[in-house]
Amino acid sequence: MRTFLFSLQTAIKNLGREKWINILTVLTIAVGLLILGTFILITLNMDLTLKHWAKGFGIVVYLKENLGPDEENLLSEYFKKDTDVVEIKYISKNSALEELKQTFGTMTSILEGFEENPLPPSFELKLKREALDPVRIKQKTARIKQLDGVEDVQYGEKWLSSLNTMTRGMKIITGLLGSVIFIAIAFATYSTIKIFFYRRIEEIETLKLLGATKTFIKLPLLLEGLFVGISGGIIGFLFLFVLYSFTTSKMIEFLPSVKGIMVFFPPEMYPVAPLAGGVMSLIGSFLAIGKIKY
Amino acid sequence: MIQLSEVSKYYDNEIALKDITFSIEKGELAYVTGPSGAGKTTLLKLIYRAERPDEGRISVAGWNVGELKQSTIPYLRRHVGVVFQDFRLLFNMSVLDNIALVLRIHGFHPREIKEDVYEVLKDVGLKHKAHDFPQHLSGGEQQRVVIARAMVSKPTVLLADEPTGNLDPDTAAIITKLFKDINARGTTVLIATHHSELFSGTGRRVIHLKNGEFVEETTG
Repeated sequence: MRTFLFSLQTAIKNLGREKWINILTVLTIAVGLLILGTFILITLNMDLTLKHWAKGFGIVVYLKENLGPDEENLLSEYFKKDTDVVEIKYISKNSALEELKQTFGTMTSILEGFEENPLPPSFELKLKREALDPVRIKQKTARIKQLDGVEDVQYGEKWLSSLNTMTRGMKIITGLLGSVIFIAIAFATYSTIKIFFYRRIEEIETLKLLGATKTFIKLPLLLEGLFVGISGGIIGFLFLFVLYSFTTSKMIEFLPSVKGIMVFFPPEMYPVAPLAGGVMSLIGSFLAIGKIKY
Repeated sequence: MIQLSEVSKYYDNEIALKDITFSIEKGELAYVTGPSGAGKTTLLKLIYRAERPDEGRISVAGWNVGELKQSTIPYLRRHVGVVFQDFRLLFNMSVLDNIALVLRIHGFHPREIKEDVYEVLKDVGLKHKAHDFPQHLSGGEQQRVVIARAMVSKPTVLLADEPTGNLDPDTAAIITKLFKDINARGTTVLIATHHSELFSGTGRRVIHLKNGEFVEETTG
């Protein structure tokens, strides 16, 4: 405990002694975590948008004309057995026409040209979030199309595919960027602590000759690295919060609908950035000090 | 307390020490002497394990020095106070902090540290310089700080490498008296020096080395 307190004291003194190089390292880590945090935040928001949109996502199964009630029941039973389907809604020819008239509003006269109702009956199927995979839905709709009594199947294929590709792309980029930034943080601290180590090589040699253990020699340097990493994490996180607040306020001015959709990290995630900065810096410091030999 | 048995040390096949055998009893004050390059410093380094012997066996206070594990070396060094030839004072620390560092390494309580440091500074006559930095002290004062640092943890063995190297005769006499006082308290002291005036007339054992080899043992 005394060794720890003394090491902490030494680390704080040394941080002050080498303040410029420490400030630079802290800012490097902060910028790295800001970039990574931005990507994670964008991915998070895209994922939430997908989930939000998924609530309204449906497949419309158009039925053939003059289908009997038994055939319609058979189809309904088939959809009920599908575990991906969370809601089934039958829309008769008349209901479809009514919906269309409501959509057209004052322009319903367009429909007066038709002698009989041209709209087919249909089933509207709502799917669960996990099922919103473009490949899975494509296979499902292909199977539904083969069923007796089904005329056509429609869904927002392109939209779903684009959003899914973008979210997946962002996740991959964030993952890769995360790895690169974590390595960069470790390297930044590695370089700083290596410089400190070489500057203090005489001091370290003296400590060794006076009977200092490896822990006594390493601990102040590790604590310096940890402190730099945590500070970088906190500052990076604050930068991100300011950037998010500024961006959302500007976006709301132009796109008021964005309000309430865009989110920041939940409070339980706040310690992640300082923790990530601290851990990576600790690894960098540990590698920089290397093995101490007597 | 210190035993060397057929100890040899080589640097790139050059002999630094060859077949050295002697022992220093507990509570003894002895000298190692010889011209430059005789192997005095290497001998001391082998005793506090800054170097490892290539042949032979060294025992210090019961520790088989040559066979010590890396993790055990610091604990041997805590039993051996060293007055280094190049002082090895830390210039970013005050005199007080330089000496206190040893006790911090030993894990002493801060209050105890302060008391012990002032006590040892009083012994070497530098209590009034406690808050000065080493670079503001004279060579003799720096030497006394190094002795204080070596003594503060009350080691069982004290090694001194050319402790009066660049000092004027008056200061050298003060330093010599300090070593006698330390020895009188029961500490085993081994001093490496090429100044014969340091040991002549002392009646102490003197081990003579030349070109890394044992020459003779005399009484000073």
